[in-house]
Amino acid sequence: MTTTTAPAAPPAQARRPKLPREQDPRNPNFRLAALLDEGSLRLISEDDDSGMLAAVGTVAGTPVVAFCSDATVMGGAMGEVGCKVVVRAYERAMADGVPIVGLWHSGGARLAEGVRSLHAVGEIFHAMTLASGRIPQISVVLGPAAGGAAYGPALTDVVVLGPEGRIFVTGPDVVRSVTGEDVDMLRLGGPEPHGRRSGVVHLLADSEAQALQNARDVAALLGSQGVMTPEQVEQRDLATLLPESKKRAYDVHPLVEGVLDQGTVVELHAKWAPNVVTALGRLGGRTVGVVANNPLRLGGCLDSASAEKAARFVRMCDAFGVPLVVLVDVPGYLPGVGQEWDGVVRRGAKLLHAFSECTVPRVTLVTRKTYGGAYIAMNARSLGATKVFAWPGAEVAVMGAVAAVRILHRRKLLEVAPELRTQVENELAAEHERIAGGVEAAVEIGVVDEIVSPAETRQALADAIAEALTAHPGARGSHGNIPL
Amino acid sequence: MARSPKSVQIQAEMVANVMTVYVGPGDRVRPGDTVALLESMKMEIPVLSEHDGTVTAVNADAGDVVQEGDALVTLDLA
Repeated sequence: MTTTTAPAAPPAQARRPKLPREQDPRNPNFRLAALLDEGSLRLISEDDDSGMLAAVGTVAGTPVVAFCSDATVMGGAMGEVGCKVVVRAYERAMADGVPIVGLWHSGGARLAEGVRSLHAVGEIFHAMTLASGRIPQISVVLGPAAGGAAYGPALTDVVVLGPEGRIFVTGPDVVRSVTGEDVDMLRLGGPEPHGRRSGVVHLLADSEAQALQNARDVAALLGSQGVMTPEQVEQRDLATLLPESKKRAYDVHPLVEGVLDQGTVVELHAKWAPNVVTALGRLGGRTVGVVANNPLRLGGCLDSASAEKAARFVRMCDAFGVPLVVLVDVPGYLPGVGQEWDGVVRRGAKLLHAFSECTVPRVTLVTRKTYGGAYIAMNARSLGATKVFAWPGAEVAVMGAVAAVRILHRRKLLEVAPELRTQVENELAAEHERIAGGVEAAVEIGVVDEIVSPAETRQALADAIAEALTAHPGARGSHGNIPL
Repeated sequence: MARSPKSVQIQAEMVANVMTVYVGPGDRVRPGDTVALLESMKMEIPVLSEHDGTVTAVNADAGDVVQEGDALVTLDLA
């Protein structure tokens, strides 16, 4: 079968006129200078034809190490010497204990160097893995990043994709020859597949400048976390950010922004598994991570992808000593054959594991409801939450009251005339809630510590985190951040 | 080369009852606009458009049960 399609757009760099290296925007000197604070750049490698260039400098005053593919030499292909530049940059960042930012634009290993280049690329992966969870690693993919250049970013904590960034293991030609699939670089490894489907990319940028700014924001949040100052927390009435009807789903983003200091929010994996929101930001001036159910998407259910996304985020925050705020409004795990076969048990277990091993302060707020297995997974008291708050009227239960009485009183309900069934159900549900449910019962049992009003919530969260930080200064997990 | 406008579907993310479809053919829809209201997991879940476009077809009616991936509304992108 033949399919006719418009010819694929040529790769971006092919459209550009050939420029001398001194004027080529892909020159790593320019890219590193654009990443780092003005005047802060100092090279720590030779500016030669190795294909990589490394520097130290600052972003918003935070010291970092940075390296950049040299796409002006053999399309940024990675050889023995260039890979050593990256490994040394890692040694420097580990010694200084500072974030490292990698700017990628590379076709992968240098073919001409044969297995030597593969060996050298493998040494980068090894250095990245040894640094994992110890120093923040941020990658910015500005052009094609193929093969080894794809797995480099993938091993790091946060991946930013520029508009011309393309990430794939095997390119369109190989895909076509092996599987017959006709695909261009954009559809194979551009913003759409990696932002929405694969979860490889955390942040999508509209321009190269924006991509570098995203990396600066994340490096500053993780590298200069600041000091929690609860007395500086301005109170806001967060109740207005939820709809009046308890049944109505809503977008949780305004609540996430409402909890965090204004203008500090950086959402990671915004389009992938959007039923959970994961964001870095500041509260009372200090960096915190937020995990929030988003009822607008899948009703806020947890599913296999969102549990995995949240688990990775929790582990990253734990590794770097970033306290967590967990905003809970969850009806349960998403039911379905697809979910079970997709490994919702295995992938959901990652979130239980991530929270349970977490040593940073982690404070939970139940806004409306939390049911069943998802109740536990969203940093419940039983997993070792630092503090669990709930808003007045929140439901903490195994399931909704009506669903519960349909199971508990199945026989009795069958005997009731159909026209009366709803009424009897509601009566039984009210009785059930009096006995088993309701946030007051949860406080009595000790699975909720305190009921807080939406207007006092920011202060309560900040105080709880500040108290835990004082009790356990510098608490952070001692584990890597495997890309779950 | 003249191109016909690109058509996209706004789909149900999960099994749901359709409560309301708010738009009809010819309506202009912008990103963030609510095009339908679904009922699932005992919740009323608004479906928002990510796109800017004009409705060319309504693929589901109030009372329908839709599966994950079923089209609710079809748009021609602006």
